[in-house]
Amino acid sequence: MSKNKDVELKNFFIFNSLYGPKEGEELKKILYYYPISDNADVQIKNVGLVEGIIQFTGTFKPSTPVNSLHTQKMRQLYFQPEKNMWIVLTLTLPTEVKGKDSSTQIEYLEDDVQDNVYEAVLKQAYYTYRLFWGTFEHTIENHDVGTLKTRLESFYKAYLKTLKLGHADILNVFHGIQYLPLDKLTFLKVQCFINSLECEYPEIAYTAFLYNDHLIWSGFEPKDMKIVYQYLIGTLLPANMEAELQGGSMPRNSVSPFAALHHGRFITGPTNLKTAKNVGKIPKVYLFASGKAESYNLVVYRALSASVCLFMRADKELSLQYFKDMDEFISPKLTAIVSDISEYCSKQVITPSNVPENAPRFIYFNKLNLAYKSTAHLDNKQTGNIACTKESLKIMADLNNKRSLLGHSSETIVKTMNDYWVVAKNSNSREFYVALQQKNASLIDISEEIKKLCDTELKGIFFHPL
Amino acid sequence: MSSDFYLELSENPVRFEAVNQLTNVFFDDSNKHVFAVRSGGVMGVVVKGPTESDKPLNFRMEDHGPVLSIKFSLDQKVLAVQRSNTSVEFMNFNGATLDSEYSQSCKKNSNILGFVWSQNNEVAFMTDHGIELYMIIPEKKSLKYLKTTSATVQWFVWCSLNKIALLASAHGSQLQPVLFKPGSISKLPKVETEPGRMALERDVTLSTLYDIPAVLILRHQSGPQSAEVHVHTLSGPGQAAVKTHVLKLGLSGRFAINIVDDLILVHHQASRSSQIFDTALPGESDGTVRYHTTVAPARSFKPAQITLPGLVEPQSHLCELYSPNWVVFQPNIVIDAKLGCLWHINLCLAELCSSITDLATCTQLALKRTNGKPILLKLLLEAIRQPKPPLDKLQESFNHINNVYRECLEAELQSHTASPPGAPSLKPPPLSRVQIDQMDMYNEIFQKLEADKDLGKLEWTLISYMTSLFEQGIPAQHNLNELLITTLVKRKKFTALQQLLQYGVVSDSKPLACLLLSLGNLHPAASQLALDMLARLNAIEEIQEILLSEGQVLSALKLGQENANPRKFLQAAQNTGDDGMFHSVLYYFKNTSQFAGAFSKDERLNQFVQQYNSTFLEK
Repeated sequence: MSKNKDVELKNFFIFNSLYGPKEGEELKKILYYYPISDNADVQIKNVGLVEGIIQFTGTFKPSTPVNSLHTQKMRQLYFQPEKNMWIVLTLTLPTEVKGKDSSTQIEYLEDDVQDNVYEAVLKQAYYTYRLFWGTFEHTIENHDVGTLKTRLESFYKAYLKTLKLGHADILNVFHGIQYLPLDKLTFLKVQCFINSLECEYPEIAYTAFLYNDHLIWSGFEPKDMKIVYQYLIGTLLPANMEAELQGGSMPRNSVSPFAALHHGRFITGPTNLKTAKNVGKIPKVYLFASGKAESYNLVVYRALSASVCLFMRADKELSLQYFKDMDEFISPKLTAIVSDISEYCSKQVITPSNVPENAPRFIYFNKLNLAYKSTAHLDNKQTGNIACTKESLKIMADLNNKRSLLGHSSETIVKTMNDYWVVAKNSNSREFYVALQQKNASLIDISEEIKKLCDTELKGIFFHPL
Repeated sequence: MSSDFYLELSENPVRFEAVNQLTNVFFDDSNKHVFAVRSGGVMGVVVKGPTESDKPLNFRMEDHGPVLSIKFSLDQKVLAVQRSNTSVEFMNFNGATLDSEYSQSCKKNSNILGFVWSQNNEVAFMTDHGIELYMIIPEKKSLKYLKTTSATVQWFVWCSLNKIALLASAHGSQLQPVLFKPGSISKLPKVETEPGRMALERDVTLSTLYDIPAVLILRHQSGPQSAEVHVHTLSGPGQAAVKTHVLKLGLSGRFAINIVDDLILVHHQASRSSQIFDTALPGESDGTVRYHTTVAPARSFKPAQITLPGLVEPQSHLCELYSPNWVVFQPNIVIDAKLGCLWHINLCLAELCSSITDLATCTQLALKRTNGKPILLKLLLEAIRQPKPPLDKLQESFNHINNVYRECLEAELQSHTASPPGAPSLKPPPLSRVQIDQMDMYNEIFQKLEADKDLGKLEWTLISYMTSLFEQGIPAQHNLNELLITTLVKRKKFTALQQLLQYGVVSDSKPLACLLLSLGNLHPAASQLALDMLARLNAIEEIQEILLSEGQVLSALKLGQENANPRKFLQAAQNTGDDGMFHSVLYYFKNTSQFAGAFSKDERLNQFVQQYNSTFLEK
């Protein structure tokens, strides 16, 4: 007897039609295919079907290629990141068992899977790959298709496991960055620290500064930053936090209690400078905002709760001594700054978890700097730890999808069956979504409530008059 | 670097007849006069000083025995000559010749150690039994006894500037400061020295440091330890002169002390070099006493030359520096009696600064010097222009500069908020000698960096300077904000600009909002930020303009209608090409009583009505 089931990944593949145009060579088209449990025939069949759909739909509207295919049990999303390259994500729709024991019926919940949310998931899968390996074409040009296949294989094998499809929501659509609210002086101190670091080490092309999961400063375009940000808070930093919790970075029995406390360490590169024999593993990343791919070595230094991400020009050879010098330079300065930041933060502890239970929950997003803030989510780990109903998040994603119809500024109010109200405000390139539960409220009440919320949460921002 | 001398002797020394068998030379450090007395005065007395350009005085006086001390009164109307240890002779002086003498003896059983002119018409005899104060009445050629203060005195030191004498007894282990006021003498609390520690007259200097009288005592140490100078400051009336600073000399031997621009110079004869100390600089402290070391490596004076008459033509003579014939006087006088020269010591601040390696220390030092401003600004610019500017040190320097700047601003503010009449006017704190404000930084540093086309450094320094300003609670001026924005734009660092604006680093103003608007086509976020800024400034008209230019006529209209100009809105509506919009806007204005009248008044509005008619009615 099957129970209710959440959305699941059915398959994920990347192909290029030009690689096996002849019959019998279809397998050559496939650059990557998941799951491997699908045999070659199934793979060829699936790819062939997609090719057909793309070709067929292309005749109707050649300007915009097909995005998705809805079927009763499945949802398929298409993305063409590079010429002739297609990435396809197929999901099985969530199901619900309806009816009595005798006559159960499985219902496929088509509306629960929103195209814009999963399109974002699909695109992110590509951009994350591109961050580390550059474009597909780049690999083919510099190496060969075989290398590309190996890279795709090793990357996506791990990446697909980390996907949390069931909890994907409007935040995936935004794919934003959480900034840390800070007073200008503390911010400037961070800035001065980064300036002196970049002045001392001209090999640093860009720097980003994070405090916990929040960004304070990034020296490069938000478009690139969001990918890096997702990698940092989604993969690199959590993995490192675990190591710290196990007593990795701060040994409990330090050699001498009088020795100056040394809090920081590199988390990419030589992670333990005392014992390191070589510079260790330094990830190479590609940034694209300037128009063409540029590669950098990503060195991350972490002290207390702050992470300093240094994008070093790839042509610079990094020696162990270099890291040691840098550690000496960064550690004392960073420690001082972090204490300033944490002091400021402790003065204004408003975390989503200590907002009153029935207070309105909101999500804010600014398209132009990709900043987002959410009190609807209790953490940013995409674990479904949310403070409002899943339904309201879905409505928000739907409202987001339709906002282009509404022009420069708009306000949309939706009431759900269970007395939930969802409001979408859109003005001056910003989006603001609120979910609140209020019994027997009128439209005017809700409108007032939103106004109040805007005044407190979004001070100093221009809103188009309504 | 070693060629940089930071001390020099004045170029034109006061030249006087050198000491020889016939001539005796005296120096009066109140009037800074050098007296060359030939044959007891019979052959003439030449008085020169304080500078070579001052016209020398020439006169003769009768020889009544060897002169011990000779001094003009402060107004130079009476000449006092001491020839014995029981009396002082006085002669009225008219600028060229002397009148007959009149004399004043001290009390019985006392010995005069010396005398000082404490006021124009008051003279004090310092005797081994204390001080006797007399008023002189030149017209009557007599003196009137005023006051006596008794004390045991072995020797004394006089400071004419503060009118303080330091009376020493018990071989200099007891030092009693005495303050002279017209008609009165008051004892101040004794200088707190280590009990029983003796001092020689030549090791004690009375001077002024940062407007506060100070007693400097050179302490020679026994054994391998080096000498120290202990600085006791007389912080306030009735308060004892407490040891507040110790200057560690790191040497032993013969020393001499001068004060130039509130810097203490300690000359060391054996090494022929001088060290410099600034008591205003921070130093290692034990709570009451701060320990200082020399701010720059010890250096010699710059070589000095004088011309001497030769047989055929004048010859140039290289003066011996740190000569055993040197005698120093406060604050900055060096006399070589054998050579017949009186020099003033000059400080070469630029050279001194360049021999101080630490920029922050150097900044602190320069901020307290009279002519420090151009030198400090030049120094900062040089530091920034280095390939790797020392940003941390610059930050420290800026903090020092802005600390002074803030004090100045506060003082200015206080002077504007007038205190109620009759209220005791608090003496404003002594302002620093160098104030560098935002305009100075803008003109002397930032604009020059901009001219260098070194925008990276300009950005770094600007940020650093502004951080320091905010740390002191000083708002940044518009030109700095503007420069920051344009620099970031030129460097194509829009992301950085955006973040700076988000965090409120750049304060809101309409000109800045306009600047941002003009950047809107390069970087869309700039328009967004401009709109936010205008909204915070409540600049509704400007926002309306922007919305109209973007064709958002309805939004603009909703913002406020009181001062709306119908023509502007109608034109914008027409420009959108949206007939429905045009219809609505026109109807709104026609049907609102406030504006309806405008249609009859303003000819130009009819054009829109006609346009309307042609669009809608003719169909």
